[in-house]
Amino acid sequence: MITLQQLSKGLLCNKTQLYGEEKRSRSLRGALKNPLGQYLLFGLILVVLQLVSSLGSEFGIRIIPVSFMTALGSTLIYSMVSIGFCLLLGYSGLASLGTAGFIGIGSYCAFFCFQEWGLPYIVAIMMTLAISIIIGVFVGFISLRIEGIYLAIITLGLSEILRYALQTIRATVNIDLSNIKLFGATIDKEVVFYLIVAVLLILIWITNNLIKSPTGRAMLAMKNSTSAAQAYGISLMKYRLLAFVLSTVYAALAGIMYMMYLRSVSTSMSTLFRLTTSLNILGAVIIGGAKSIWGVLAGTFIVYGLDSMFLQSIPLFNDNPTLITLFTGILIILVVMFYPGGLQQLFTLIRRKVIALAAKRREARYGRDV
Amino acid sequence: MAEMFKTFRLTRLDKKVRRVKNHAKKRGIMERHKVVTAANRQIKLANKELKKSLLQALTAEEVFDIRMQKALKKYDLKAKWEYRRVNHGFAKKIFEAAKAGDTETERKLLEKNRAEVLALDSKRARFVLRWEEKKSAFVKAGRADESVAEKRRLQFDRQLEEQKAKLSELYEIKSGLAAKNIEQFDARTADKLKALSDKRAAILGRGRTELADDVILSVNNLCMYFGGLHAVDELSFDVKKGEIFGLIGPNGAGKTTVFNCITQFYKPTRGELHFKNKENVTVRLTDYSVHDVVLEGISRTFQNVEVIKEVSVLENLLIAATRFYTASVFEQALHLPILKIEEELIKQKAETVLKLLGLSTYKDWYAFGLPYGVLKKIEIARALMTEPKLIILDEPAAGLNDTETAELAELICRIRKDFECTILLVEHDMSLVMSVCDRVCAISFGKKLALGTPDEIQADKQVQEAYLGVSEEEGESR
Repeated sequence: MITLQQLSKGLLCNKTQLYGEEKRSRSLRGALKNPLGQYLLFGLILVVLQLVSSLGSEFGIRIIPVSFMTALGSTLIYSMVSIGFCLLLGYSGLASLGTAGFIGIGSYCAFFCFQEWGLPYIVAIMMTLAISIIIGVFVGFISLRIEGIYLAIITLGLSEILRYALQTIRATVNIDLSNIKLFGATIDKEVVFYLIVAVLLILIWITNNLIKSPTGRAMLAMKNSTSAAQAYGISLMKYRLLAFVLSTVYAALAGIMYMMYLRSVSTSMSTLFRLTTSLNILGAVIIGGAKSIWGVLAGTFIVYGLDSMFLQSIPLFNDNPTLITLFTGILIILVVMFYPGGLQQLFTLIRRKVIALAAKRREARYGRDV
Repeated sequence: MAEMFKTFRLTRLDKKVRRVKNHAKKRGIMERHKVVTAANRQIKLANKELKKSLLQALTAEEVFDIRMQKALKKYDLKAKWEYRRVNHGFAKKIFEAAKAGDTETERKLLEKNRAEVLALDSKRARFVLRWEEKKSAFVKAGRADESVAEKRRLQFDRQLEEQKAKLSELYEIKSGLAAKNIEQFDARTADKLKALSDKRAAILGRGRTELADDVILSVNNLCMYFGGLHAVDELSFDVKKGEIFGLIGPNGAGKTTVFNCITQFYKPTRGELHFKNKENVTVRLTDYSVHDVVLEGISRTFQNVEVIKEVSVLENLLIAATRFYTASVFEQALHLPILKIEEELIKQKAETVLKLLGLSTYKDWYAFGLPYGVLKKIEIARALMTEPKLIILDEPAAGLNDTETAELAELICRIRKDFECTILLVEHDMSLVMSVCDRVCAISFGKKLALGTPDEIQADKQVQEAYLGVSEEEGESR
């Protein structure tokens, strides 16, 4: 008699198979256990939010206000920077305070390429990336010979230099994208939002891949013990530079997106290219948990998104803007004091508790598994 | 200046050699991978067809059996919880009754429980019976003819044989082609490598030294000065192939400094370090930077354990093999197949190493919080991951108790035998040094005192003085 197992196992056994085949579950639940599926779901939710908002505004219903979407968009832009910074701080153990300067480079490059020289957008983005890589390598070569707090100081100085340079080039930049077409569509806020989501997802995917590959492990080794890393063939300069340049590129991409989304920056007035931004990003990464992508996203949301998306609509906070800062400040202190691993640690604790509780309940109902 | 230029050219040449080798390795892996994936695809297609014809060849009874098995499996999964609930509900009550000594209720409860379990059992029996009835009805109806099924089964067997023959032929052809490709490519690579090694010889010129056949590492007049402090002073010794060489000396004698000089953590002030690398070519270690020494075949452990605590034990071993991945950063960022294959291969290797050292149980544990003895073993496992020719152990027995030290001694001997490598060790624990080492070199304040077999060293006057100090009488008589 032929049994079920024989049928399901397959008739010709794969003798030629040298490497274990990846187990891929086809069901939706299996896909959601896979990180890639989770990221895609995240992107899908964002796209649906934007769709609902724009549909609502078309029919004159205010389901999701435009200001909410704007705040969400800028939070996503900042989370690009944070993810780059997570690679730098959480994995390579380098604390840099030059993030704001690199966002500035991205913005100004986008401005000059789109506005002044009128380049096609692919060329413009490529050029911006190339410039940011060159500057990243240059700055990295100077500063990465030093570690710890001194690196932070040096990058802070370089960032300030960059800001002054940008300010003297042009104090305010305004971009006009009406005559540029992206795949045949005019670039309005909605299109840019989709673009932001797409770029963010790609960046998350690349970061996730790098973290789970030898490069990510080499970076962790470097962070934990430089001598062990060197003894096993990990060149400190190479991996530090890699992490630094990657974070620079992420920041520059965020700069481009910021320019496309919000259209104008006044360098002398706004705090975008100042130390505040660098510190906020650092805070976001530490609050979220420097080694987890979801944690970093949550941290950025708390630092940037919480006040502009939710708290501002509450009258109490709207009347006293300082309360918002106070609120987020206290939240940061609480998180750092009780959960030094960031929100990531909190979430894992809660998850573990929930699983334990479910097991206990099952036991109370059905008895212990014999 | 000329020396620096020479080193620079050598470094660039080495990079080129590495690139050529990596390219060849990657090509080989991908060729083989292509064959395997093509074969697997064919097998999948063939299986699909075969499954279809097998289903046709089944008799009515067999078809029904399969369906019944499926249904029963589903039923059992559900019934498991019912059984559990019944038993648990009664267990509590019976226990309480037994505690109170109420035998009457206890008996009643037990009976009740048995009745309920029996009810569940009969429910399952009824379920099975229902299916049996259905089956007999189905067979009686004669939906499938026995003789036809028999014929089809024969046909299926023939088909299976045919497919097998076809697939194996296909596989052979393809793998033959791949092997031919790889061979051609390897020949080209060998030519390239030969040209490069000629170039290397030309750069080195006539003045290069060749080590004797049985020597693997030679330290010649090594000096390492930190300002005015002479940590190592005119030290020379040779390490022979396949031996366990011990370096001993009192605290602060400069043993670890010697190791750091060999592995290029410190650039020596003066002196020559020659090493016979994996391809049996004599190289000067001072030409290499710290992170390239490991590729030549030297790996080391550390005195104060430097295990990466944020990752698991297995990942610690993978970190040690970082340089053995040929996938570039770009390929890693996109998770291309080459990375997945290499990861799988290196993971297999790591698992064998872990098994050898008896660490398989700790495979997925985080290194944080593991006992000290295990961490020491992880360090040794990590050193083995790089296919070393020379392993440098820096105080492997520090912090271990006597049984662990004895285990370690046995392990060191086993490693030498299994991996065919040379071992150089620094140790304070004299019992380990004397039991394991073939030759021992004693140093004090950076200078060599004596070199010989353990017995000779033990008998040596100077060594005794360095360790125990000069006795008063001897001091006076001098």
